[in-house]
Parts: sequence; structure tokens; C-alpha cells
Amino acid sequence: MPIVVTKRAETNPSIKGQDARGTDYATLLRAAQGGNQAAMERLLMKTQEIAYRFSLLVCGHADDADDAMQEALLKTYRHAAQIKEPAAFRTWLYRTVKNACLISRRRRVDEPARLHSLDEVSIAPDGSLQRIDVEDQGRRPDQVMENSRLRQSLHRALQTLPPDSRLIVFLREVEGLSTREVAAVVGISEANVKTRLHRARLSLRRHLEAP
Amino acid sequence: MKTPASDRCRSLLEQLSKDIDGDLTPAERRSLTAHLRRCPCCQTMADSLKHTVDACRKAGTARLPADVRLRARARIATLLASGAATRHRT
Repeated sequence: MPIVVTKRAETNPSIKGQDARGTDYATLLRAAQGGNQAAMERLLMKTQEIAYRFSLLVCGHADDADDAMQEALLKTYRHAAQIKEPAAFRTWLYRTVKNACLISRRRRVDEPARLHSLDEVSIAPDGSLQRIDVEDQGRRPDQVMENSRLRQSLHRALQTLPPDSRLIVFLREVEGLSTREVAAVVGISEANVKTRLHRARLSLRRHLEAP
Repeated sequence: MKTPASDRCRSLLEQLSKDIDGDLTPAERRSLTAHLRRCPCCQTMADSLKHTVDACRKAGTARLPADVRLRARARIATLLASGAATRHRT
């Protein structure tokens, strides 16, 4: 049987420009630029969500998440009104988040690196780390445990990839960007994205399947 | 017992990835499907790759933890309030 995986951008043109949750960024940006406050709030929340996932999964530093979220939030708020091509906004947003995360990492470069999984931690207002729930409320305990185990395994597997490949997997698989968008964010050709993605998938598979 | 991977199986690895992205031609896809039907080794690999990609995609749909979400909302409220105050002054 062929592989059946939820199809993304380039295999389903009707969802081009949308993320894994179906957000249409270009429409959201146009509404925000037109003075719709709810759209602006949603856009700013989306920005922070991306920065949070980026900090944990690509940088591997939950400690940086709040700084990265703040930085990405400010940049998006300041520049959203000036963006002339809403269709290109998503690429701009991911580049901005990437830079915001790198800036917050550089600020903490002297601190020891610690790796955390998506469902392990969040940062309390006093800066301490605490365990977090996520979307598991109302699910059976065995499902919660399975999701938790899967996320931890995925997080560990991602950290074994070279940084560039981790970034590509994050953008393409986790965030659902098209290969064209990934190429634009990373600054390499689409063919290069596909080659690296293929290798990264095989590497991730090996780590996820390892006992 | 595992079926050993042949050269043909190894050459199909990239096609499995292409299939996930919807990049195969109809003829390539038919050929891949036919091979998977008779090769447990590649079928296992295909299932395993699908599992890997699905695990990544699930991570992209996870909600922010409640406390992180609260702080994110507070930042937005502060920012929009300060923006409104600036506009009001000018």
C-alpha cells in the first residue's frame, strides 16, 4: 500500500499558505492591516506560538522561549503594517522568528544548554521551569502517556540532527510550510530542501524506532 | 523475521519520501505500490517513515501550555495598549 500522510501545501493547492491548524496568514495580515484588532491579536498570538515551538524544537532551549516570543512579537507588530505582499508574509514571519530565537540564544550564550521536551516544561514568571500540560486534557491516561512519550522521543531525535536539517524538518514537517517556502526561509534551493529533508526523515526514523 | 533489503529496496527509499510529499508521477506511484505489496521490508519502512512524519506534524498542532498562553496574551494586551496610547498622543 502507498504511504498515506496528511497532504500539505504543494500537494493540495486549496490549503496553500495555511499552517497545520489551517490559519491563512495572508488573509489574517490583510485584516490586521485594515484595522481589525481581533485579527492583529490572532496574528501576534500565532507569532508567539511559532517562536515557542522554534525555541524548544530547533534551538532546544526552553529557557529562551519567553525572550524569543517577546522579540518576535515586537518585530511583527512593528512591521506588519508595512508588508506590501501578504502572500509573502508567512516566509517573512518564519525568518523573523528564526532571527528572534537566534538573538535570544546569543544573549544567553554563556549559560549551559539544557534540553527539554515540549510536554516537560514551561517557564514560570520567576524564570523557573515547571511541568506543563498541553492538549491532553480530557484524553485517556494511556493516550496522554503515549503522546508524551512520542513528543519526548521526537524532541530527542530532532536534537540529533545537524542544525540546518533540524530547521528544515521543523519548517516543513512541524509547521507545514511548502518546500518553496522552506527554501525561501533557509536560503537554499528547493531541490536541496528535498534532499536534506529526505535524509533527515531517515535519520529521525532510525532514532524514533530505536528501542 | 526481517526480510533483507535488496538493492531495489534501497533505491526506493527516496521514492518513499517523495510519495509522502506527493512528488511521484502516477506511473512511479503505481510501481512503488506494486513493490510495497510484495515486499514486507519496504512496507515496514514506509509505515515507519509515515509514523515519523505524523509525529512531527502532531507536534505542530499542540496547543501552548496554559501559563505560556496567558503570558503571551498579556504581552499582546500591553503592546496594543501602548500602541493605542502612542497613536492617541500623536
